[in-house]
Parts: sequence; structure tokens; C-alpha cells
Amino acid sequence: MSKRITIDPITRLEGHGRIEIFLDDAGDVERAFFQVPELRGFETFSLGRPSEEMPRITPRICGVCPTAHHMASTKCLDDLWQVDPPPAAKKIRELAYNLFMMEDHYIHFFFLAGPDFVVGPDAPAAERNILGVIGKVGMEIAGKVIRVRRECRQIMETMMGKVIHPVFGLPGGVSKGVTEDQRTEWLQTADFAVEFAQFALQLFDDVVLKNKDYVALILNDAYAHQTNYMGLVDDQNRVNFYDGEVRVVSPTGEEVSKFAPQEYVDYIAEHVEPWSYVTFPYLKKIGWKGFVDGPDSGVVRAAPLARCNAADGMASPLAQQAYEKMYETLGGKPAHATLAFNWARLVEALGAAERVKELLEDREITSDNIRTEPTATPSEGVGIVEAPRGTLIHHYQTDDNGILTNVNLIVATNFNAAPIAMSVEKAAKGMIKGGVVNDGLLNMVEMAFRAYDPCHACATHSLPGQMPLVATIRDRSGKMIRELRR
Amino acid sequence: MSTRRRRIVLLALGNDILGDDAAGLAAAETLRGEFEHDVDVVASGEAGLALLDILAGYEFALLVDSISTGRVPPGTILEYTDKDFQKVVGPSPHYAGLPEVIKLARHLGIDFPRQVRVLALEIAPPMDFRETLSPAITEAMSPYVDRAATILRGWLAATP
Repeated sequence: MSKRITIDPITRLEGHGRIEIFLDDAGDVERAFFQVPELRGFETFSLGRPSEEMPRITPRICGVCPTAHHMASTKCLDDLWQVDPPPAAKKIRELAYNLFMMEDHYIHFFFLAGPDFVVGPDAPAAERNILGVIGKVGMEIAGKVIRVRRECRQIMETMMGKVIHPVFGLPGGVSKGVTEDQRTEWLQTADFAVEFAQFALQLFDDVVLKNKDYVALILNDAYAHQTNYMGLVDDQNRVNFYDGEVRVVSPTGEEVSKFAPQEYVDYIAEHVEPWSYVTFPYLKKIGWKGFVDGPDSGVVRAAPLARCNAADGMASPLAQQAYEKMYETLGGKPAHATLAFNWARLVEALGAAERVKELLEDREITSDNIRTEPTATPSEGVGIVEAPRGTLIHHYQTDDNGILTNVNLIVATNFNAAPIAMSVEKAAKGMIKGGVVNDGLLNMVEMAFRAYDPCHACATHSLPGQMPLVATIRDRSGKMIRELRR
Repeated sequence: MSTRRRRIVLLALGNDILGDDAAGLAAAETLRGEFEHDVDVVASGEAGLALLDILAGYEFALLVDSISTGRVPPGTILEYTDKDFQKVVGPSPHYAGLPEVIKLARHLGIDFPRQVRVLALEIAPPMDFRETLSPAITEAMSPYVDRAATILRGWLAATP
């Protein structure tokens, strides 16, 4: 009979993922589950509503990446209403989207991964926060982090309405253009953003890569999985956050498939487990083989490193240099180190910053032609973007009046749910032997799932502003024998 | 967002399509009638660093938000002050929480409210999308609003 360890965040704050670890008779880890009490009923909530409302409703699904839902939904409406936005509209959308990607990646790196890597995985819990990061990197840098994200958000707010509830995406275009004055002013932010992105990578180099222990941690097999990888690519197979085709590569880097958003149902299927509300997408061609990695597994990872693995490179010169350097250190492509997701995040932030600059240097972005009026009768549409956390799919079906009759969303954390469970299990196996639970278990397990930047909830809350973890260890009779608490 | 000409902000947090999660937003809408001329009333679904942007520049901030501690019945009002925010531990999976934001603001010398209070209304964890409040939370709304109003009136009386 197994005994069970439960790691359960006390509060629900951003979605209370729960980790359950089952030990076998020898006291070793038999299985670990990452459970998420997913919010229910979004499809039901949406049905019967006009499809045009979806770009305004879906950002409310997630307080963490509203812009990603807004953009996937807007692109889904383009497809649904069979309308191609004018070039300026596409560029305006892509500008807003890259600002969002950059800002979101910085928050993750400096606030969430930073405490692990900049302050140190073994540092006291009280120091492993943004203040600890500031203590290590200095006040000036902290001020720059605050500045770059504030300026990005100010531009986004001007373009899209409230950052949390954007309202500018319309089927066939956008509701608001960019003026010449804005273009010129925002270019200054773009220059600063490119400079800051390079600086962030240099910081990573100085603080993380020059520390042998950190590099060893990143490359530690306990944090590696050989999976398939997925991401949007442009016509030259370079990373693109806003548009393109979905490319999937195998654990050894060969192209497994490449498909247009509308074809996703031919390539992606969703597995269901009785212990979770979350669906586990997998590659249809390979099939669901369980929570396993390797060449025969249908599990596919999404996320920054997965995107880099799935692409042949970055679309801008500085990001491409950073991309090449990353793979050199990681031992080639594809890289399987889950903790290197944090590095790829900074490479992508640089790519996003360069793209912002490139788009703002293009005067077409100030064109008045920002909308193509839809005239076709809608029936079905699919929109895909790369959310910061990975590939995001919106799929709607409607009646002839555009009233929703079916809605399916696959979010990045769906794609990563099986890999997260696998990563957590692997970390747990490394930390629990013969019934002896290493005190570092909580942090190891947390670092494993934090690298995915998972999002499971849509309630946005500020208190208590932390995610306490409790690991309960029970004997075979179910009696608690030990509790680890952070 | 309204201009920052006032010294007091009432910040309501929540998701307006997630049932009782919208309790703080609902309370703020009721309070808006009495206070909108003297207090900036801001409703937001944001968290983390965005709170820094919203709260910076005010002297007093009252946050109304729902919470699920599981330790008290739904409808219970819980009040927090700065003293409750002293302990900052590891980050949440997504973003900085309010305690971390307050510490960060003070550490960086950002013009941040000298008084931050939170009136949280206990709710059962909302798992379904809907646009209405449960009966328990609807019933609790009146005392919740009254308590928030008392705090705001106190601040208004104490500030010129």
C-alpha cells in the first residue's frame, strides 16, 4: 500500500495547484500528481453570446495573460468572419503583443525566477524574493525593471484600453491606430527596451552562467525531459509570437509536423485523467502514451525554450546571437533542461524588444487603413498566438448570426500540464529516498513547476501575496508522520 | 483610470465574471455613489506589480477584495493593515503579491500610500464562471460596504 505526501498551497490565490506524492512500500516515490482545480463552465458561459464579445470576455479568464487571450480571440474572429486585416492593423496588433510578451517575461525573470537564480536556490526563504534580487543586483537595476515595464504598459494602455481588459482587437483589424507623434515617442521606449534586454542577458551571464553551481543546477538531469516541442514560426521557421504556423519538433529536433491554426484538430488531441479537470493535449500522430518522455511519447512542451527548440532561430539579429550562445552552453538543440526556460525567456524578451523597435521604425504602422469590414457569414474559426507560457488556441463555432454554439480553448498550461507533472515527479524522486524526505523538497519541486510559469486560475488577488506550501507525509495507514511547511 | 488629484483611492479587485470573486467590485460600485467626488474609485482585475502603478501617488489606499482563507464562513469580513504585510516570503507562481509590492515601493522610495488597508470578504473558492453573487455574499454586502464607508469617512475627516 502506498503512502501519500500532499503539497498543498494553503490559499487559492492564483489557482491552487496541489502536488500529491505517493510512496511505495520501500518509501520511494511511486507517482506524483500535479492537480489543478481548474475553473469550470467557461464554454457554457460563452455559448449563446455574440462571438464579437469574446476578445473582451476571454481576457477575464486569466488575470496574468489577458493580452494573449484578447489577441488569440481577435485572430479567431478574423478567421471566423473570413476577413484579412490590413497590413497596418496586423503591425499594430503585433506591436502591442510584443510589448506584452516583453513585460511579462521580465516579471517572471526578475520576480519569480530571479529569487531562485539571482539570490540562490539555497538562500533563506526570507531572502528569496524581489528584495533579495535587488539586494544582489542593486537599486539602479531595480529602477530600470520598474521603468521598462511601466513604459511598456503605458503604451499598451494607450493602444488597447485597460491593460487587463483590452478592447482594441476587432474582426478584420483594430479600433485605434498609431499617430506619427506616438510612433516617434515610443521609439525611445523601444531603444531603452532593447538596451535593457541586452543588459538582462548580461546579468544572467554574470550572475548565473559564471556560477558553476547554477549551471550545474540548470543542466541537472533531475530537471530535464526529452519531449516534443511546439511553437509558432514565421515563413523562415523563426520564432513568432503573434502569427504563423505551428511547428512541432521531436526530442531529437526533427520536424514532426507543421500546420496552420485551422488544422490543429488534425494534430492535437486532448487526454483526460479522472484525477484532474485539466486536459492533457498530446500529438495525435503519436498518441497518448502516458506521463512519459522520450521518442515514443506524445507529450509536447510549450513555453519559451520549447518555442526556441521548435524554431530554427530568432527573427532579429541580437536575439539570434543570444539564441546561439544559449544553445552552445546547453549542448545543442533541442535543449531539454526545464530550468533553461528561464534563460530562453530573456532571449525572447530581447527578440520582442527588437521587434517592437522594428515595427515602430516602419511608418506604415501610422496608416489610417486599420480595418477590413467583415461581410461573410461566419461558421467556424481558430486563432493561435504564443502566450508567454506557450501556445494558446481559441476555437469557436457559431450560427449564421455569429452567435457562439461551441467554444474550445487550449491554453499553454494545458500543454505543459503533463510535463509539469513529470517534472514534479522527477524532482520528488530525487529528493525522497527510502522514506527520507529531504528538506529541500519543497523548493526543488517549486522550481520545477515555476520554470513553466504556469497559470491555472483567473481569480486575481493580492493577499496574502505568497504561496505557502505544505508537504504532508503520511504513513501507510494515512496518519500524518511529518509536515514540511514553507 | 481617473486622474490622481485626490489623496485617497478605493481599489476594488476581482474578476467580474467569476461569481463571488467579484464581491469587492460590487462593493465599490455601491460606494462609488457616496464617495466618487472625494475618493478615486478604481476597479481592476490586476494583481502584483500593476498594483504599484495604481496605488503610487496616493496617501491612503483602501482595497476591497475577496479572499478564501477557508478558516471563517463565507461572508466574514477580514481586515488587514500594513502590520500584516511585514512578512515577505518566496514568490507566488505568477507575480508579486501586495506585501511584496508594498515592500518594494518603500524600498525603492516610490511615492506610495502611507496607509494601506484591505477589507477582504471571505468567499467560497469560486470555480464556475457566472455573473452573479451567491446568496451568502449578497447578504454580507451591506455590512461590508458600511465598514468600507466608515474607513473612507474617517480618512476624509482626517485629511483637509
